[in-house]
Amino acid sequence: MPPRLAFALVCLVAMLGGVVAVVKQGQLPPADFTFNNDTEIESLDPAVVTGQPEGRIIDELYEGLVKLGPKDRKPMPGVAERWEVSDDGLTYTFHLRRDAKWSDGSPVTARDFVYSMRRFLDPLTLAEYAYQAWYLKNAKRYSRAARGVEIGDRVEVELLEPSADALPFARGEVLRGELVGVETDPGVAAEMLDDPAKFIDYRTFVVSIDGEEQRFRIGDRVPARAPTGAKPCRQLTLDFAEVGFRAIDDYTVETVLESPTPYWLNLLGFYPLAPVNQRCIETHGPAKWTEAENLVTNGPFRLEFRRLRDRIRLRKNPHYWNRDGVALETIDALAVQSLTTSFNLYETGKVDWITKVTPLIARELFEAEPPRDDFNPDAQFGTYFYAFNVTRKPFDDPRVRQALVLALDREEIVTTACAGELPARSFTPPGLPNYDAPECPDTNVERAKELLAEAGYPDGTGFPKIEILYNYEQQHQTIAELIRKQWRRNLGIDVSTRNEEWGSFLSSQRQQKYDVMRRAWIGDYLDPNTFLDLFVTDGENNATGWGDPEYDRLIREAKAEADPEVRIEMLAEAERILMREVPIMPIYYYVSRSMVKPYVYGWYNNLEDRHPLWALSIDRTATGPNDFMSSEPVREIKLNRREPEGAEQ
Amino acid sequence: MISFILRRLGWMLITLWVVFTVSFFLMRAVPGGPYDSERALEPEIEANIKRQYNLDLPVHEQYWLRMKGMASGELGSSMKKDYTVNRLVREGLPVSAALGLLALAFAFSVGLVAGIVSAVFRGSVADVSLMSIATIGIALPNFVVAGFAIILFVFTLRWLPAAGWGSLDQLVLPALCLGAPYAAYVARISRTGMLDVLGQDFIRTARAKGASPFSVVVKHALPTALLPVVSFLGPAVAGILTGSPVIEQIFAIPGLGWHFVQSAIDKDYPIAMGLVLLYTTLLYSMNLIVDLLYGVLDPRVEWK
Amino acid sequence: MTTTPSRTKEIGVSLTQDAWRRLKKSWAAMTALWTLVAVVVLAFFTPLLPLQPPDRDLTRQMFAEPTLSPIWEDTFAFEAELVDQLDAEITEARSEFTAQREEFNQLRPPEASPEAIEEAARTVRRARANVDSLIQRPYADAGFPKLGPLARAMVRARYAVFGEWQLASVCGRDKLGRDLLSRIFWGARVSLIVGIVATLVSLVIGVSYGAISGYAGGWIDNLMMRIVDVLYSIPFVFLVIFIISVLSEDSVKEWLAGYGIDRITIFYFVVGAIYWLTMARVVRGQVVSLRNEQYVEAARSLGVSQGAIVFRHIVPNLLSIVLVYLTLTIPRVILFEAFLSFLGLGVEPPDVSWGLLANEGIQVITPVKTYWWLIVFPSLAIGSTLFALNFLGDGLRDAFDPRMKGR
Repeated sequence: MPPRLAFALVCLVAMLGGVVAVVKQGQLPPADFTFNNDTEIESLDPAVVTGQPEGRIIDELYEGLVKLGPKDRKPMPGVAERWEVSDDGLTYTFHLRRDAKWSDGSPVTARDFVYSMRRFLDPLTLAEYAYQAWYLKNAKRYSRAARGVEIGDRVEVELLEPSADALPFARGEVLRGELVGVETDPGVAAEMLDDPAKFIDYRTFVVSIDGEEQRFRIGDRVPARAPTGAKPCRQLTLDFAEVGFRAIDDYTVETVLESPTPYWLNLLGFYPLAPVNQRCIETHGPAKWTEAENLVTNGPFRLEFRRLRDRIRLRKNPHYWNRDGVALETIDALAVQSLTTSFNLYETGKVDWITKVTPLIARELFEAEPPRDDFNPDAQFGTYFYAFNVTRKPFDDPRVRQALVLALDREEIVTTACAGELPARSFTPPGLPNYDAPECPDTNVERAKELLAEAGYPDGTGFPKIEILYNYEQQHQTIAELIRKQWRRNLGIDVSTRNEEWGSFLSSQRQQKYDVMRRAWIGDYLDPNTFLDLFVTDGENNATGWGDPEYDRLIREAKAEADPEVRIEMLAEAERILMREVPIMPIYYYVSRSMVKPYVYGWYNNLEDRHPLWALSIDRTATGPNDFMSSEPVREIKLNRREPEGAEQ
Repeated sequence: MISFILRRLGWMLITLWVVFTVSFFLMRAVPGGPYDSERALEPEIEANIKRQYNLDLPVHEQYWLRMKGMASGELGSSMKKDYTVNRLVREGLPVSAALGLLALAFAFSVGLVAGIVSAVFRGSVADVSLMSIATIGIALPNFVVAGFAIILFVFTLRWLPAAGWGSLDQLVLPALCLGAPYAAYVARISRTGMLDVLGQDFIRTARAKGASPFSVVVKHALPTALLPVVSFLGPAVAGILTGSPVIEQIFAIPGLGWHFVQSAIDKDYPIAMGLVLLYTTLLYSMNLIVDLLYGVLDPRVEWK
Repeated sequence: MTTTPSRTKEIGVSLTQDAWRRLKKSWAAMTALWTLVAVVVLAFFTPLLPLQPPDRDLTRQMFAEPTLSPIWEDTFAFEAELVDQLDAEITEARSEFTAQREEFNQLRPPEASPEAIEEAARTVRRARANVDSLIQRPYADAGFPKLGPLARAMVRARYAVFGEWQLASVCGRDKLGRDLLSRIFWGARVSLIVGIVATLVSLVIGVSYGAISGYAGGWIDNLMMRIVDVLYSIPFVFLVIFIISVLSEDSVKEWLAGYGIDRITIFYFVVGAIYWLTMARVVRGQVVSLRNEQYVEAARSLGVSQGAIVFRHIVPNLLSIVLVYLTLTIPRVILFEAFLSFLGLGVEPPDVSWGLLANEGIQVITPVKTYWWLIVFPSLAIGSTLFALNFLGDGLRDAFDPRMKGR
């Protein structure tokens, strides 16, 4: 053989050897339970994430004061083994169990919870969900930092540098004192002082610490115009001791609320409020502490490893207090994005639970013969809707919005682009035991045309071209196309559609750069408030520019209302306003379309579509339907099919 | 030869610098940033995030800092997720490389055999049908080929797993779909090359001397006929490396390709930029290796 | 062989004629050629054909299977009268648009605030959109995407000839009940235009670059070719994805739309700008060998300018490689568009391309249910066209091969 050919062959063999080596390295024994988590998660820091995929993992890695049951999502003891509620419903006292441990073996104490809550509320943590803890007394003021303090308040000042004995990534040293004055720089015009974007630029905060007055400017550098002697600080907030969350002793936590909140316990079981380990965070720093070799958690499982865009492997936490109650030893959470691939993996037996299937596949599953023993869709606490940007013409006119809502044919949408979803005419989905959501009017093209004419656009003449913005996904695209056609057909107006990727989509939403936008909201806890709270004037997630003083009043007062019936009635009144003014257009209510293998037990349908994995067990010998198939649906889900017709409508 | 390599490496550094500079300013010029989220932020919080990412510094300092980072091998960290580009590369590159090599091996082995057979039996049924099959690889988008292949091999014949990463059989389909178009090109190139060679005098001489048809083809014709195929190696490597996102997505393979697509689409600039630079380095080195290989195979080539 | 400048043309012609004669002998290449001619002609005259409008949805018939009986139906809903009725309104909207543009042009930065300019720009855009919308209305009502003037005339002609008759859905319907056959035809228009225009852009760049480099020679040639080498190692696929996703950003897009540039136009140029590398190399090689031909020397000694020599004497001789290159690059561009469609960065509805159809088709191929027609027919369309282009490319290469001369 010529040497050159031999050389080429050697190269080839070496390359193939490398391939085999790499593949070998990727080889793993299969986990006890594998599910598809739909995407690569953004972070394992409970405070900063918001998505369902992150929630599924964090729920297993961490455990809060209470946790929520797999079946009815009722609060049950977590790290707190019991709790008392004061008669006015404001003060909750939690008694922590002594055997709760972090995965490094150290005990979980009340101090850990206080640390985690402070960190969660700290605006520098960028916890998007921080407002979920604003039910705590003074929590909102703490989160607003320098904007939330008033003269006379106890405040804490975080300096730029940590104290000398602190861990490498600790926050700046904290000084506590009383705010005795706020000085504004001389010669600065009033409108500059009022400009919220320049709030800290012209203010010096005078804090009395141990009887001595000190001056602080917020920011890295003290500008020249500041009074002499002013020191820079990272931020200035209310003293955390003023917030209604404190440790009475090592094993007792007390929370004090602004107003009685019936779902407070459910919120405490919500993953962003999970405790994090201070030592771990401050030793490894923001980027590294969530890595598998560093992460310390207190949940039923610990992180064994995480391979980007491949899988996260969880292993039972040997230090978990209820380790004997956890059946699974290992869990794999895959990050497969394509729904078709996910379904293929499920069908070939590589995955035991997939969280959704495409409408197209779902339609076949509904009618499969013999009936599927692993498909049992159920109502979910979420609504798919379109939002109008009321700061733009012509959406500032409620008649235009009403006309657009009236011209919508939801029946066509759910039968074409969905499988089993119910057309939605209210924002709050049905399924709550004592809340009957007020609805917006049903499709009525005649009335829609009248309203449009009243608004000055008879037959759509002169109506500006509007654009529907959606994030790129097949189903959103189909729905946007359908609505475009419906509006064009029914109202004669010109509509275009545009897709953006998730990141840009969110910033368009935040900056209100859209005409009509696809949105969705999944309830965080089982109460209408989780939906209605969204559209208070300038609300965190309002993003429509809509606001109504009466609506704001109702939502605000409902929060303070002690009588549950009156409270619910106030919320209903608020939703009536929302459905009359229609800054949003409800389209359909979500349906959960999980597929779970028949040998998986402990998996229940529920309205929140959250399924704790610590409750799962595998039994391949058992016969008969598992908990998933035998669970009673909240609402029966049927496939809506459109009757085929030969002729045009 | 050493000076040849050194000169090429010098050019590579210049290339990397240009790519870095262009992408740096391109990314600064477009809207979107690390703090895009569903809600509005207070200006001082935004300033704080900007400081974390050094976005508060003057542009030339940012540029200098980033360049120093890149030069020291720190490719940056994601603005949206909690990992660094280095970690992503460490985990994704071996996977992408394994997939790419397998696809390449498939493309060249199948392509070569098909090309040679076609050339030797020119005009026969085998020639026409092999070349037709080869052309299908070029004529359909690879996600369509992948879709058909999954239905056929996974669900009808049940030979192969549907997706995933961790065993060799999971790599077969992706490598097949990724390599198919290149197999087709290789088949066509090697067929042409072979036909050229078979018409030349030294082959006729070998035949006349009574060498067996097999040894004529393999010993005499093949080395020369291989040359155009080798020069296709460079473009093929580039195509396979950058063409993998679709295949990675369909077969749920945790390689670098989809990371890039995702980061470009999400406007996660540090990842996009880090990966562009990485791929530039990879492609450049590959081209260099191919040039060297060419020299090894063909003694007529001299390095200049 | 001694040639004079006046004889070059003749030789060129005879070479081409010779190639053409050889090409005609190859049945594969000829079949491919005629297939392509048919595809291009059909795509061009698609608005004339009695097909259902490609964007006409009929959700009651979603996923209807292909049917051959009946093959005709009289359901083409086009209001031809509306076209004339709208004339007056269009004229009015036009004049308003012109007036507003005038107003906008009056605004100058120092006097007018940026907000005012932005507002005026938005008004102008809105007025332009209004004109467009009025012109398109009768066609959009019937279910056509945005049409150019020629296509509009063809639709009217088609209505005059066929009336309300149109072909039934012989290839089935898609998820919104749209007719697949018609979408394939309309998709052909987009895909072919994308392929051809982007290839032409790359051709212009590649040929000029290669010709200049090869003709100039010396260090210029060296530098130019080194740059090509360097560009080869830039991951252009990634760059294109990045550029397209950046340019799809709202503000950037609005700004570009102000100049009448949309995503497809960007696509032409970006793709054109990356596929020229191979062309430049090949052309340079050819030019270097041509440069030393005697007739070029002669032209030079006669004092013909450099540019004239390159473009009159050398470029025409590149015809053969250019043709081969064209047939091989168009398929790559069409596939690249499909790749972008897969990522959601291709053409946007209601426009349709083959890549988009293939992507939609692959979505409905699942283990539980296969709407085969949605993938098979688009694949056939793409496959046969690209197949033909490839075979034609091979045929051309053989035909122009000087070693084949006289065979």
